[in-house]
Amino acid sequence: MIKPSNIEIDREKGNFHYPTSSYAFDAGIGLSAEVVKYISEVKNEENWLLDYRLKALSIFEKKPMPTHWASKDLENIDFDVIRYYLAQGQQPSRTWDEVPDDIKETFERLGIPEQERKFLAGVEAQFDSEAAYSRIKEDLEKEGVIFVGPTEGLKDHPEIFRKWFGKVIPSSDNKFSALNSAVFSGGSFIYVPPGVKLAQPLQAYFRINAENFGQFERTLIIADEGSEITYMEGCTAPKFETSTLHSAVVELVALKGSKIQYITVQNWSNNVYNLVTKRAIAEENAEVRWIDCNIGSKLTMKYPGVVLKGRKSRGEVLSIALANDGQHQDTGAKMIHSASETSSNVIAKSISIGNGRSSYRGLVQIPGHLKNCKNNTECDALLINSESQTDTYPAIAVKGDDNSVQHEASVSKVSAEQIFYMQQRGLSEAEAMSMYVNGFVNDLIREFPMEYSVELKRLIDLEMEGSVG
Amino acid sequence: MNSSSRISESPVSNFLSSDFLNVFLEKRSWEPGWLVDFRKESWEKYLALPKERLKDENWRFSPRSRFGYSNFPELIKSGKESTLNCDDTSHVFFESLNQTILDSPSILSDLPNFAEPNLGSISNLLLCRTFAENGFVLKAPKQFHSNSIFKTTNFAPPNNMSKFQQNFIFLEPHSELTLLESYESEDNSSGLLSNTSNIFLSENSILNRVVIQKLNHESTFLHHENIELQKGSQLNNILVQLGSSQSRIESKGSILGEGSEFNNSSICLGIQKQLFDQRTIQHHSSPNSNSKLLFKNALLDEAKSVFSGMIKVDPDAQNTDAFQTNRNLLLSNEAEADSLPGLEILANEVKCSHGATTSKIDDQELFYLLSRGIPKRTSEKLVVLGFFDEVISKIKNDDLLDQLRNEISSHFDTKS
Repeated sequence: MIKPSNIEIDREKGNFHYPTSSYAFDAGIGLSAEVVKYISEVKNEENWLLDYRLKALSIFEKKPMPTHWASKDLENIDFDVIRYYLAQGQQPSRTWDEVPDDIKETFERLGIPEQERKFLAGVEAQFDSEAAYSRIKEDLEKEGVIFVGPTEGLKDHPEIFRKWFGKVIPSSDNKFSALNSAVFSGGSFIYVPPGVKLAQPLQAYFRINAENFGQFERTLIIADEGSEITYMEGCTAPKFETSTLHSAVVELVALKGSKIQYITVQNWSNNVYNLVTKRAIAEENAEVRWIDCNIGSKLTMKYPGVVLKGRKSRGEVLSIALANDGQHQDTGAKMIHSASETSSNVIAKSISIGNGRSSYRGLVQIPGHLKNCKNNTECDALLINSESQTDTYPAIAVKGDDNSVQHEASVSKVSAEQIFYMQQRGLSEAEAMSMYVNGFVNDLIREFPMEYSVELKRLIDLEMEGSVG
Repeated sequence: MNSSSRISESPVSNFLSSDFLNVFLEKRSWEPGWLVDFRKESWEKYLALPKERLKDENWRFSPRSRFGYSNFPELIKSGKESTLNCDDTSHVFFESLNQTILDSPSILSDLPNFAEPNLGSISNLLLCRTFAENGFVLKAPKQFHSNSIFKTTNFAPPNNMSKFQQNFIFLEPHSELTLLESYESEDNSSGLLSNTSNIFLSENSILNRVVIQKLNHESTFLHHENIELQKGSQLNNILVQLGSSQSRIESKGSILGEGSEFNNSSICLGIQKQLFDQRTIQHHSSPNSNSKLLFKNALLDEAKSVFSGMIKVDPDAQNTDAFQTNRNLLLSNEAEADSLPGLEILANEVKCSHGATTSKIDDQELFYLLSRGIPKRTSEKLVVLGFFDEVISKIKNDDLLDQLRNEISSHFDTKS
């Protein structure tokens, strides 16, 4: 009898793994005060920051897992086997030539060719803990825009960043913001001076490369009066046997009349726990937009929020989530109105494929002393297969007779008639399904910048492969 | 109004003491042994409950301290019995709980197997199962049809006492009837009424049920409903709440058979510091069924409402249509409406949606009425009556409808 040979599959697609053996700084495995001290020492931090980290660590240890409302899957995170800090000891490089070859190769794999980068205003790519490549066009620097890592930001520009650091999201906000506050490394600190409007978006790419390495980047963006900025982040991780943890904290401060747009395309591999706290403060007349797309990870828990602190400020969250087999996308939005005449808008669309589960969790809060506040929330869920799951858990607290809130959610499946129609026009069932799903999210995808929307469509097509039949 | 802030979180020691339970059981020694055992078991379960967590999702937005028993430590000794009446009881079993236990306890023999609708107050439910001395039992035989209304009035106790009540409604296959349940206070003093209604609808039965709650403004109302719908059955449930200082409703509808229909609607008119806490679930375990929920709250003064609704669709419950709507109308700057509409969908051939809105009276509507010379307060009342009409106009009986509209109107006019 002839033994059937193993089918050869190209396993390289989506394999972003490269050998890592030469880290100059390694905080070892597990979490303790020593690890926190080590990180702080390597970064040559001032005492107040070390104290801040240690205090956050004790908060983290005290806080229980939020499993009374969140997924029990959180209990599977083993904090004792995670590496909390790894770095190759390099300083952020300024030119492409200085970037180490193996890291360059990673970027090639990610599909960001060198040529394309030159057109991008500034790219800050984070390879594990430290920015491996960072470049800002000179004219940005001339305008006074500061685009640095957190260590540099707090050391060189304390007058700007220290004032807001940890103020939008205090370390005690939740268990994972406390964890981040204790061990954060890498990320972006950005300051845009008054009246400066950035025509080009700033970008950052994050990835996790070492096994069992948690990534804890910290981002703080301050848009001064009347300024405008768009920030984009993309995330990938190579596939490992064991689960990894990503727990970031992102704080945005939109001062009077400024605009911040924050775009995320999250495509972690399917064993990453992605537990992120994102929140913005919007002062008078300011506008904050979170555009959030979650395709990867094992479990994502992320609810970008806006605290509408100044009169006539505006907050918006546009969210797309795609949950495939074994994934749980638990995403949503928080809108905290704390000034009159503020308005907020949330549009969330989710797609569940196979046994994937997507959840929407939201909070809208309007206290009674405010006048003329408005919120609109829409959540639409699409279920592809019979074992797909979707949940919606919004919370709306409204006081006073001068505010209005509306919330709507719907769940539907792919319409057989529409698929039939497209098949009649000569498309295969899979193509028709892909087209249907792309149509479902199309009005949100249009909000993404060009290169992201193309990539997103491709990613959705990829995820939809084999979901029919 | 109750000075609610003084009520502490901890349960009252009376209900925790075995002496207290033994005295209670002694008094009811005439009951069948299985019922005594059931009361004891429920009480032991109550004791074994884990300490109430401060952050329980089922109690989100709810000032839990207002629902404590500590202000109501005594069980009422000889309270007013529930009254029952109907013109046409020839074929129907319609008795008080005590009479049922005495005459035909077998009707209740399945009690230990009844589901526990766990929407947060499992402790209330267990206390109800332990100490229930009041309530009513309604059982309609196969093919029963009647045009007359079955009425029952139930009373909350006076003088800071507690009262536990269990009600049972069984509809045999192909029967149909209309039931009106009223809840009132014995007098003007404060009391706590904890009530559990167990409703079982057999194949193709139809129950039209109207519940009116008008306890005095000092009292606490705790109300659980556990509803089971078998194949082809239908429940039209309408809840009207005007009374009590604080009220908590937990209503669970389980769709266990194909092709059933569950309509659950409610209105609350809150004045002064009234609190209406409402938790509902529409649980679809069987395919091809519909459920529709419509909860409307109009709030004046410092009234507050909490609505938490869940639509749960199991993987096998394909072709489900389930809708949930919560509308809140705020008429004062101090009024508060919190909404937690939820969905958990595990089947894909479904039509499910929920909507929640909160806002004030439309300026144009108000202007229209004012420009016709109608005073502001009256205009607001008219708008509120119109707002509620979507729910109460489902009541087919004209006399009852008129009576309800008058009661809503006079409740609105209560001086704050």
